[in-house]
Amino acid sequence: MNEYKAVIGLEMHCELKSNAKVFSGAKNAYDVVPNVNVSPVDLGLPGVLPTVNKECVKKALMMSLVLNCTQPEELYFDRKNYYYPDLPKGYQITQMHAPVGINGKIKIDMGDYVKEVLIHDIHLEEDSASLEHYSDASLINYNRAGVPLLELVTEPCFSSAMEAVKFLEYMTLVYKYCDVSDADTKKGQIRCDVNVSIMGKDDKVLGTKVEIKNVNSFANVYEAINYEIKRQSELKMANRYDEVLQETRRFDEESGTTKRMRSKVDAIDYKYFVEPNIPKYKISKEYLQSIKEKIPLLPLERKEKYVGELGLSVKDANIIIKNKDYANYFEECINLGIDAKVAANWLIVQILGFLNKMDISIQDFYLKPELLKQIISSLEEGKISSKQAKEIFNKSISEEKEPKNYITNDNEQISDRDKLLGVITNILENNKEQIKNYFLGKTNLFDYFVGQVMKETKGKANPSLVKVLLNEELLKYKEK
Amino acid sequence: MKKFTKEMVDDYADKLLIGLTEEENQMVLDEFNIIDESMELLTKIPNISSVPPMTHALDDFTYVLREDDAEESLPIEDILKNCDNYEDREVVVPRIVGEAHE
Amino acid sequence: MNKTIEELHAMLQNEEITSEELVKEALEKSHYVQKYCNAFVTIMDDAKGGKVTDSLLSGIPFGIKDNYATKGILTTGSSNTLKNYVPVFSATAILNLEKHGAIPVNKTTMDEFGMGGTGTTGHTGNVYNPWDLKRMCAGSSAGSAAAVAAGVYPFALGSDTGDSIRKPAAFTGIVGYKPTYGMISRYGLFPFASSLDHCGCLTRSVKDAAIVVDAMKGIDAKDETTWDSKDIHLYESLDGNVSNKKLFYIKEIANIDNYKEASEELREHLKNFHAKLDLLRKKGVTIDEVSFDEKLLNAIPSVYICLSCAEATSNMSNLTGIIFGERGAGDNYHDMIKDYRTHGFSSLIKRRFVIGSYILQKENQEKYFVNAQRIRRLIVDKMKELFQTYDGLILPVSVGGAPYIDGSRDYITNSETKVLEEHLQIGNFGGFPSITIPSGFINGLPVGLNITGNCYDDANVLNMAYALEEEMPYKNQIAKIKEDENERV
Repeated sequence: MNEYKAVIGLEMHCELKSNAKVFSGAKNAYDVVPNVNVSPVDLGLPGVLPTVNKECVKKALMMSLVLNCTQPEELYFDRKNYYYPDLPKGYQITQMHAPVGINGKIKIDMGDYVKEVLIHDIHLEEDSASLEHYSDASLINYNRAGVPLLELVTEPCFSSAMEAVKFLEYMTLVYKYCDVSDADTKKGQIRCDVNVSIMGKDDKVLGTKVEIKNVNSFANVYEAINYEIKRQSELKMANRYDEVLQETRRFDEESGTTKRMRSKVDAIDYKYFVEPNIPKYKISKEYLQSIKEKIPLLPLERKEKYVGELGLSVKDANIIIKNKDYANYFEECINLGIDAKVAANWLIVQILGFLNKMDISIQDFYLKPELLKQIISSLEEGKISSKQAKEIFNKSISEEKEPKNYITNDNEQISDRDKLLGVITNILENNKEQIKNYFLGKTNLFDYFVGQVMKETKGKANPSLVKVLLNEELLKYKEK
Repeated sequence: MKKFTKEMVDDYADKLLIGLTEEENQMVLDEFNIIDESMELLTKIPNISSVPPMTHALDDFTYVLREDDAEESLPIEDILKNCDNYEDREVVVPRIVGEAHE
Repeated sequence: MNKTIEELHAMLQNEEITSEELVKEALEKSHYVQKYCNAFVTIMDDAKGGKVTDSLLSGIPFGIKDNYATKGILTTGSSNTLKNYVPVFSATAILNLEKHGAIPVNKTTMDEFGMGGTGTTGHTGNVYNPWDLKRMCAGSSAGSAAAVAAGVYPFALGSDTGDSIRKPAAFTGIVGYKPTYGMISRYGLFPFASSLDHCGCLTRSVKDAAIVVDAMKGIDAKDETTWDSKDIHLYESLDGNVSNKKLFYIKEIANIDNYKEASEELREHLKNFHAKLDLLRKKGVTIDEVSFDEKLLNAIPSVYICLSCAEATSNMSNLTGIIFGERGAGDNYHDMIKDYRTHGFSSLIKRRFVIGSYILQKENQEKYFVNAQRIRRLIVDKMKELFQTYDGLILPVSVGGAPYIDGSRDYITNSETKVLEEHLQIGNFGGFPSITIPSGFINGLPVGLNITGNCYDDANVLNMAYALEEEMPYKNQIAKIKEDENERV
């Protein structure tokens, strides 16, 4: 099988986050009740016209910039014409002639290596209605009709299912980092089409391309690609490569196989033409610049910074960048002057542990970086022990009170020399008998004295300091 | 060889989900020859491939994009008054199997 | 009802008449005209008079072409596909008129979805010309033209994709005006070909047209092709002063020498046209004969067919009978939609769809559709160049008066007068303001001429039409229906 190499391309659809839909003012939100977010425009009622949502354009252009694409001078749209019950107008408004981005590239962390993925184009379009199929009928819910979608099309540049999935995972993260989408695969906000072909190691031309439509989870993308590589390779090995047709297939979750939908011959002619109801909109350099300024540091860039500049381990950096909010929390800590490794350690061990246990998000987490700093500073200044720090951490969260309350009033270690001396001399004065015994050889009485000091200071005395002072004071008795 | 055939005409019509009667098909065939002749006029204007297609009525048009404000949904009950087949809040169509677009 | 809007407004304000009485009269007249001209899809018998305010249109009845969505009122586009469709919203243009207090009293018959030029393809049957009931009004705004010409009310709304306001106006002896593209919102207008579709009105005087469009226009957040026209006041700009204005006509269209087989009617028509040019010249207007690239002129009808049919096929893809419209039969969605469309559309539309389908096919698109868009630009650029020198283009409308309904088929043909019949489409290509006014009679039938100017120059175009109208006796003329001629073919 491995005498062939696979060539894989992806189409990734991602629902954008916005208040209103892309071409109508209806709300862009998921709702369990069907048809609660609909406008006449979404339903294609006679006489309606599309209007373009500024926010969606901004987000689409942002992704185009993130992907290092070329942006068009003018924004405009095309109609993709076909009949299907989930498409009320009989056409989808999309971008064919002038996508928001073309010819892009982005670096993807593949684990052991970084790969530059080539982007064919990225375009803004509208989602279709959703259909529910029952035994005797299908029902149409238009809540999703007109929801903004970004479709990202890569060049066929992946060589394995793993690479494809890594790309999808990374892009999902990028969408979240840029706050353009919640990118929740469980809500169907990310959907993929995959195309797969194989070629011999020395072949110069690409093999027959097979497209697999609507694969709805990354696990399925992985399976579908591997199944398709296997299917095509087996046919090629058996000298039956002519049976690999240029066609559209679908992934059958149950059997883990792909099944034929239609061949190239049956391909639909979508009769694309420019949408006349949306005038061309000039995209100025200033406009692009203002969007560019809002692009946050991407996960891979952050990882490189964490490892290279801040000295984190790759493993720790990976954990932190997995979630934009973790990364932001971490960076806030750094900005507050907390040592990177210390911050990473607290975040990964204490905070993520707590979040996992409680199943809450870091945004709902009480101990913001500046509060965490109170604990860490006290620890560094030696005011509290690391055991105490953990206790304060938990107390502060459960009582939702700033850590400093526990540090000053309760838990702060007594390291004041004079204060401790006072306590020690007092104790020694009242234990003359024991001192005598101590000097007679009962050395374990030293621990007894320490225990007395701790008892007197309710455990707050700095133990190492107590030991030093105690030694000094005892010596004075010996001299006596 | 005839440029247009009955089958071609039926195929164009079918792509728009319309059926033609024999008579309509014949009318289209008759018209097509004239139309094709006049369409050929379009190809006779010299050196037009460099002319940018005029896709909108007004060129050099400036406008502002819509603000991202969600408005109240239209009550689906009102819309469904024009619909011949619905169930509760949803439009019903014959069961659809094994197709997809995008 | 044979009065102008200004006159009616004065009467309403002086309480010589009430809005209620006007509405009642318009409804009675509607039923009368319906009997002879079949001009309406719906007559709103429950329409009530309205409040009279300072707005010139307050309390005044009017008609709406049946492709403007009217909330709660049947709106069919004169198509079987929508024979029971009741919109849940009203077109912006209608809302604007209602804000001015105008009272809709009927929905007028049209060629199905505006696709046609005869007024004979609507699902409720032929519309007859009130000047001669054997003849057509042309289309597609046929019912609106018939009703205004017959004096049902002072104005009705039309829409214009090729000449659908301006040709019926000519054939019924009234004024038809489509302003610059985007001056009136198209939100709620059932589309035919979006890049060519215009809203507009049919009236019996230029001033009335100015008043009506002043009320209809305005930038609309629901139509991104609209623009802010608040500094344009059409009614107030009419002063009839046209000295030093410059117009041109196209030699290849308006010069009789171009027509080897010219009919007597055509000769008369062109002679009449040139006589009217002299009236303008007397008022100080310079009028030049300008030669226009004949290749471009001859391509006009093809460009129009290409673009309009192609856009229409897509615009009407929402007509599936799923969300609205009578459900078709079939046990899968494909058959169901096909049944609905096959039985819902008239033969003409189906034929145009086939052309559109052919033109948009991947393998033909560049050759036909995209080239048509390129030629559109060449024509428009040439016009804009001429508008640098001239205030407008003036041309006769069609080859004469209204043709007989019998024998008219809206069949695509080639003839030497084709460009003369179709040149108004230039106005749609460029989104130009364009107005047709009555210019006389030939064989007892009204004929018209048209003035088209540069985008956004509506006030100037209207003022030239207004000045010429003043010199002719056709302003506010009303067709008297010959009741004994009620033999329809």
